[in-house]
Amino acid sequence: MKYHFLDQYRDAESFIHRLDPRSKFLAMLALVSVIVLTPHDGWLAYGLFLVFNLTLLFLSRVPFFYMLKRSLAVLPFVFMVAVLLPFCSAGTEVCGANIGGWHIGITREGLILTAGIFCKVWLAVLPVILVTATTNVNDLLKGLEKLKMPAIMVMLMSFMYRYLFVISDEAERLSLARNSRSFGGGVRLHVRTLGYMAGALFLRSYERGEQIYGAMLSRGFDGHGRSLNQLSMRLADVFYLATIMVVALMIALSPLLLRNLNA
Amino acid sequence: MHIPDGYLNVGTMVGTAAVSVGGVANAVRVVSKKLGEKQVPLMGMLAAFVFAAQMLNFPVTAGTSGHFMGAALCAILLGPWAMVIIFALVLMAQCFIFQDGGVLSLGANIFNMGIVGGLGGYAFYRLGLKLFGGRLHSKVVPSFLAAWFSVMLASAACALEIAIPNVTPPLSVVLPAMVGVHAIIGLVEGAITVAALELIRSTRADLLELQKA
Repeated sequence: MKYHFLDQYRDAESFIHRLDPRSKFLAMLALVSVIVLTPHDGWLAYGLFLVFNLTLLFLSRVPFFYMLKRSLAVLPFVFMVAVLLPFCSAGTEVCGANIGGWHIGITREGLILTAGIFCKVWLAVLPVILVTATTNVNDLLKGLEKLKMPAIMVMLMSFMYRYLFVISDEAERLSLARNSRSFGGGVRLHVRTLGYMAGALFLRSYERGEQIYGAMLSRGFDGHGRSLNQLSMRLADVFYLATIMVVALMIALSPLLLRNLNA
Repeated sequence: MHIPDGYLNVGTMVGTAAVSVGGVANAVRVVSKKLGEKQVPLMGMLAAFVFAAQMLNFPVTAGTSGHFMGAALCAILLGPWAMVIIFALVLMAQCFIFQDGGVLSLGANIFNMGIVGGLGGYAFYRLGLKLFGGRLHSKVVPSFLAAWFSVMLASAACALEIAIPNVTPPLSVVLPAMVGVHAIIGLVEGAITVAALELIRSTRADLLELQKA
């Protein structure tokens, strides 16, 4: 299993681990929303958000490099768009070239904009990592159900999560088998093999699903999930949520506050 | 193609999220009326399947690689609305657990891949069945079309959304770049989908009739 790193710090001890998942989830939504709404050149706010995120991280005892590694998931998309961006913004040109009648140039404004968007996208993913690194997925799903997410979606999610790794391992075994047997050959063969792998994976998942349903039925499944652990919002949870919201709002308004102080 | 947080403007996020919520709600209604409690483990398992199948990478050109999306395959095998539910689940897991796609952009991602790509691709499947129905291997061409269009439509929707806020590259640059790359990825998606369906037909043909159940 390749994903053991997901749960690495989920059972650690910190006051953030002990918070109610609803409180953590709502706080995350608030923080991400405020970060997303920051203007692209809000460098002061970006800096403050970074400090705030790192403080929360420190309190949760999740190591910085662990979070950094997980945050790299946003990079492919950022790169895809960032490659084009510096070429397409009006402004002072840093360097340029004429290629067969087309003029291509990188502008200063384009580069700054790219950097700004990169900061924003990266900062916006940190609160999500904080929640998922410190919360048990079953608790998180229970919290989401309490937050009025449809019960059927919650149950499907918990099923999916339970078998995600089993099926992923299955896919890895298929890849290993392919790599050890098929080499050479043209693109046609490779694509066809990939198709057969997808088909085989579908059949294995489907048949496993049928078996599991049979097993559940024989143990009295009636279409509802039940669990013993109950969630409770305590004073600490309310306090955490309120603190995050207030700090996020203050950071968002920080340029205004500073201007008033200077005036 | 998973849009992270920070690219879309508020209008786009709210609009696409509203359509996605409506689409998923309708899908839950349609699917639960049709199949009942048996669907729960099965749908969860097939969402895990889509997730795992998306790990099957193939090289596109030097340095970049595309991966199988599976929206067309799912829609053809399980019906369009079951596919919408499965894609909502997959994207939620990718967003919350793997940070692939943003939390506030979740609605847009479900909209692009599940609704525009998946349902749009499926529409081309139905159209293809009408045009080529009755011939030998009559499902090959429609399946290929569905898969190709699912990737193309999803990438075009994604390009449109990130071009709307007007700070990112203009549409005239993003759209050809995205759609151009995905025209090639779509060919592979189509070939994989056709081969997968061929395997399923030769081993468990009964599963191809799932939708009619």
